[in-house]
Amino acid sequence: MAKRKQTHTPEEDIQFLEAHLAGTLRPISPPKELVQRLGARIRMPSRSEITLRFTDWRRVFLIFGGVVSGMLVLVTVARALYYLAGRKM
Amino acid sequence: MEYNEEEILQHASQGDRDSFGQLYAHYVERIFNYVYYRTGNTHDAEDLTARVFQRAMKHIVNYTDRGVPFSAWLYRIAHNLVANWHRDRSRKQEIPLDDLPILPTKGDHPERNLVRSQEQDVLLKMIRTLPAERQNLLILKFVENMSNAEIGAIMGRSEGAVKSLYHRTLLALRDQLEDQNLNLEGE
Repeated sequence: MAKRKQTHTPEEDIQFLEAHLAGTLRPISPPKELVQRLGARIRMPSRSEITLRFTDWRRVFLIFGGVVSGMLVLVTVARALYYLAGRKM
Repeated sequence: MEYNEEEILQHASQGDRDSFGQLYAHYVERIFNYVYYRTGNTHDAEDLTARVFQRAMKHIVNYTDRGVPFSAWLYRIAHNLVANWHRDRSRKQEIPLDDLPILPTKGDHPERNLVRSQEQDVLLKMIRTLPAERQNLLILKFVENMSNAEIGAIMGRSEGAVKSLYHRTLLALRDQLEDQNLNLEGE
C-alpha cells in the first residue's frame, strides 16, 4: 500500500479500484468436509422443529403411552420368567 | 445428469428431499461465499449457511416462481439471516475485522492463497464498513460475478438503480482511500 500519488485521473483510480476489488473479493472453495457436514446438518431436524414436535400434545401422548406400555410388557414378561424359574427350583 | 432447475424445484416443493439435495449441491458454495464475506469467519458462515438451507427447505412448499429466480429467493433468506446475525452480534460484541481467514480461492495456486496482501486486507476492512446493501452489491458483483440485472432481482431494485449504487459505492471507497491517504497500485 503506497502513499497517494496525484498522477492518476479519477477514471484510472476507479479502474484500479475495480481491479483490486476483483482481486480481493474472489470466490472461495469451502472444504469438502464442510459441505458434507452442512449437508448432514440440513437433513437433521433443526432445534426449532424438535421443539415444535413437543408442542404437539397428541404426538407426546402417543410417545408417552407407547413407552409406558412397552415398559409394562417388559415387567410382565420378567415377572412371568421369574415365577417360572422359581417354581422349577 | 442434466440440471433442470424448474423440474427439480417442482419436486422439491412437493417435499422431495432428494430434489432439495440437488438444489443444495448446486447452491451451497455460492451461499457459503456470500455469508463468508458478510460475516468474516468460517464458523458463523457454516452455521448461517446451514440455517439458510434449513429455512429454504421448510418454506420451499410456499415457493412460487414469479419471475424471480430461485437463487434470488435463497440470497434473500441469506441476507435476512445475516442481518439478524449482525444485529445480535452488535448487541454482544464487535467482530474483529482482521479475523477473516484465508480460504482457498478458485483457480489459484495454493501458495498464493496463503498470502493476502496488505492492500487486500485494507480493502476488505473498508468494504466491511460500508452499509449492508453496498456490501451485498460488491459481493454479488465480484464474488458471484452477477450482472446488474441479476443483482437487481436479488436486491429488489432496477438494473439502473444497481448501476448507480455501484458507481456511488466505488466513489465512496475511493474517497475513503483518499481520506486515509492511501493509493492502490496498478497491477
